[in-house]
Amino acid sequence: MYLEIQAQKCTGCRICENFCSFHHEGVIWPQRSRVTILAQGDNGPFVPNVCRQCEDAPCALACPVGAITLHEPTEAWVVDVEECVGCGACVEACPFDAIFLDGERGGSLKCDLCRGEPECAAMCPTGAIREVV
Amino acid sequence: MFPYRGYAGKWLYVDLTAGKVEVREYDPELAQGYLGGNGFGTRLLWEHVGPEVDALAPESLLIFATGPLCGTLVPNAGRVEVIAKSPLTGIYGDANAGGFFGPELKFAGWDAIVVRGRSPSPVYLAVQDDRVELRDAGVLWGHTTSETEAAIRRAWDDPQVKTATIGPAGENGVRFASIQMTPQRSAGRCGMGTVMGSKGLKAVAVRGRGPIYVADLARFHELAVELHLRLRANPVFPAVSAYGTPGIVSLMDPLGRFPTKNFQMGSFPEVDKINAEALQNRALVRHLSCFGCPIGCDKLYSLPDGPYAGTSLRSVEYETLNAMGANVWSADLDAILAANRLCDDMGLDTISAGRAIGFAMELWEKEILNLDETGGLALRWGDVDVLLRLLGMIARREGFGNLLAEGMRQAAQVIGRGAEQYAMHVKGMEIAAQDGRAQKSMGLAHATSNRGADHLKAFPVIDETGYPDEARRRYGEECLPEMAQPLAIKHKPFLVKDGEDFGAVVDSVGVCKSGGTFVLAEIYWPDIAAAVEAATGMDMPVKRLKRIGERIYNLQRCYNAVHGITRADDRLPRRFTEEPSPSGNAAGQIVELEPMLEEYYQLREWDPETGWPTAEKLRQLGLEDAIERLDL
Repeated sequence: MYLEIQAQKCTGCRICENFCSFHHEGVIWPQRSRVTILAQGDNGPFVPNVCRQCEDAPCALACPVGAITLHEPTEAWVVDVEECVGCGACVEACPFDAIFLDGERGGSLKCDLCRGEPECAAMCPTGAIREVV
Repeated sequence: MFPYRGYAGKWLYVDLTAGKVEVREYDPELAQGYLGGNGFGTRLLWEHVGPEVDALAPESLLIFATGPLCGTLVPNAGRVEVIAKSPLTGIYGDANAGGFFGPELKFAGWDAIVVRGRSPSPVYLAVQDDRVELRDAGVLWGHTTSETEAAIRRAWDDPQVKTATIGPAGENGVRFASIQMTPQRSAGRCGMGTVMGSKGLKAVAVRGRGPIYVADLARFHELAVELHLRLRANPVFPAVSAYGTPGIVSLMDPLGRFPTKNFQMGSFPEVDKINAEALQNRALVRHLSCFGCPIGCDKLYSLPDGPYAGTSLRSVEYETLNAMGANVWSADLDAILAANRLCDDMGLDTISAGRAIGFAMELWEKEILNLDETGGLALRWGDVDVLLRLLGMIARREGFGNLLAEGMRQAAQVIGRGAEQYAMHVKGMEIAAQDGRAQKSMGLAHATSNRGADHLKAFPVIDETGYPDEARRRYGEECLPEMAQPLAIKHKPFLVKDGEDFGAVVDSVGVCKSGGTFVLAEIYWPDIAAAVEAATGMDMPVKRLKRIGERIYNLQRCYNAVHGITRADDRLPRRFTEEPSPSGNAAGQIVELEPMLEEYYQLREWDPETGWPTAEKLRQLGLEDAIERLDL
């Protein structure tokens, strides 16, 4: 499974960020969303940016402690927060700026496809983010 | 510790005279009784800004207030209220804006900002999460709203800053100045920007990086998803999403509900040149949304060529297409967009500004105004150069613009010679593009609204073009067919009262009226009650929520009552009650105001003589302090 982005359909509503943060953090907190709307100003164009779940994931390869592993059922690369040391090697390695360091807790944050039911795709009203199985 | 989730639990009190900012705890009782937003502001205004305080005096309050659902997962929950005594009407005033400012304030950890006093020199309020300070705005003063926003973002080196700014109109005391909020959304009505200008406050800039908590995670998530999916399945959704409010131009015209030439007519012969199709063919760039909105009625428009080439703007609404188009007998779409952009930059309410100019054009037609009085401007119908020039003159309070800047009611009084009969206002508020003769509930709504002529307090959408299914769902089979018929008066006082109470709640929790609640007529009392309960953890049966709506609306009425408003002020311009509409479906119609008003007061349990809430009603609503102040 992966998320397909059709940026031209994005209206900048940020529903994806809100639901993503709620799913992962239990609060509405765009700052901690794993999907981010990149925008050229308030009026767009907008590009939803999220992990591509690369086959040869550079983030996983770069991780010195092996904290990023493939979750087989969903084919999502998942960060083990217990193992992660927050060194930022994955952030450096990602060619898409789709993995972030959590400033407060020190670990890295990335999309895990909500373990199979991605909230962003379900809630995106325009089809800018779609789930492809 | 504040007991409810959904709220930040604290607000900012800004004393501009002293140059101080204080943190205030949110009062749990205020949240229980008034929710937030509109209710929060109403209560503060009632307690602190009495009839002895001029709207533009330092003692006057300017209140920015979000609600407990603002910034959350509930669809279109991005609204913020601005509340103050209106310098245009002299009574209760408010304006509401979408966009991203409200949620940003919540993410910064604040439910509201209350501003008092007057700064000795221009300042702006900088809010970066819990770091809050007043900063010098000397270099920003005199600049447009978009320039001001850009300058603050440059200074902070952060394009994500959300701002609420005034333009030259607010600085110059134009009585219908707006506050423009990121991204180019307007808190347009009632002169909230005028109040801000009188305080020397150029802008509020906010950056918030924190979370918003809710009480019952699973239930709130389930409700939010359900509401999103219901909106997306609503039959009106595709049209509102595709065209936004401009989509109703073509629907209103055949109804005779599209004011033309200052309400002389209700249909515009060249309507096809300024409808949604024309607008999109000419200038559409892309579809846009406010915070958390699945509908996305907003669009970016840009003019590729012509005299205003390069004009780029969003939030072109039905109201502006009318006010700057049919209202002034112009089908020049490019000029409408240029006028809209100019108003947003100057910080002018497009409705009141356009209406004031339409009114002046009718006075010119009737030969009540002459060249000496207009400073050499011939105010001919359809002259867009005059329109654009006058907008600038109003914003700068130059020449004849200085008179119109006082608002239509005041301008009519100064001009005299019968000008009053063409002044299309109620309680000093210019009437929006909503002809009550073509929709009787709207006629009543204009007369009863607490902020003067207003379509958005009651927002009776059910009988606008006729929503029989929604009418049945909300009010039961027995209300049909009249409830969904625009020209019938039966049931309409109830529709107006229910809309006013529900609207007060919607504006208090922080969701959009142009979204699911009114325009789509999908989200209603039980949905908001459930969402408030899940978000805040308050016990909120529908009955209690309805009582809150009624309480807020009644307290606003009491506020107006202590400012001298009585039943005698709940009236409409002669044109609506005595001059039959010549147009479309409304041909031959007037507003039968008196019988509707009579029934409305009965439903409200107000004294039919004074039009004031009775002591019994106020006691029922827990407003004992109002009984005392009204001497009932």
